[in-house]
Amino acid sequence: MDFGDSSLQKAYKYSLLYFLLFSFLLLTSSILLFEQKIGFSVGEVLRYYNGNEAQFIPSKSSAGILKIILPHIFGFGIFFMVLLHFLLFTKLRSSKKLKFLIFTTFIVAFLELFSPFLMIAGVTFFASVKLFSFVLLELLMLCLFWLLVKAIVYE
Amino acid sequence: MRFTLIKDLKKEQGMKNILQFLLFFILLYLTANLLVKAFSFGLTLDSVALTLFGSEENFIDPLSQASFLEYIHTEIFFIMMVSFTLSAVYIRVATKKLINAPLVSLLMLSGLSSILMLGLAYFVTPKAIVFYLGSFYLWNFLLAYMTLYGLWRLFFAKSL
Repeated sequence: MDFGDSSLQKAYKYSLLYFLLFSFLLLTSSILLFEQKIGFSVGEVLRYYNGNEAQFIPSKSSAGILKIILPHIFGFGIFFMVLLHFLLFTKLRSSKKLKFLIFTTFIVAFLELFSPFLMIAGVTFFASVKLFSFVLLELLMLCLFWLLVKAIVYE
Repeated sequence: MRFTLIKDLKKEQGMKNILQFLLFFILLYLTANLLVKAFSFGLTLDSVALTLFGSEENFIDPLSQASFLEYIHTEIFFIMMVSFTLSAVYIRVATKKLINAPLVSLLMLSGLSSILMLGLAYFVTPKAIVFYLGSFYLWNFLLAYMTLYGLWRLFFAKSL
């Protein structure tokens, strides 16, 4: 992994390692939050967004969903930009694998954020999309962490 | 348009000004964060315990698990982004290269520790609030030192 001036290498590598540790905590807290508020089954996802009359759970409104995703739109953008741009300092720099990772990460993040709108519009299939994209996004993050740790340690 | 690495920040007035404002805004964030914490979450042992666990005598509800997770999720993001951005600027402008890595480590570890200790205090033992506050204050102190040092270097250093 090359950050240019060799005297700065060590400090930058430490900095990146700690960033990855924070990112891991962020990932853990997001899984806990998802489990706590929504649940990891299609039925629970539908119940959270579309409500359930028998259980007196109101459905989410477009404005309510927008309020939740607003900070996440910026957060996802900046977080994945920072995480992915580090791969440019690795051997993956001009590989197809990097291009695939960049596109997949941002497209999956987009689906994760916006699928609830289609769910409340009545397309229940998007409950599965929401669940699948959330799990895939977490796995992609783990994959990115691993690639960066590997680059710091072995390159 | 051609992207180049800036070797001497002193000669790049535009970039220097951007970094000065960035550090100034980090100082503003630090101050606002302390004020918000003082007014809402608490900055002392008793006030943090009251926020987390509530008080039957004063009819204050404890923080629900969902609210706690939302709070800590946001904290992780902000502590991570602020620490990382500041470290990147500090490493670039600091002269004492030898202490860069330990200082950056200390900043990051105190930030990580404040998050972990808060989680420990909420889920395991209220005694961890002491360590949460210790880490929180250390993180804020280091953040203030590194920001002010960075600003001083950007304003007064002969070469960067």
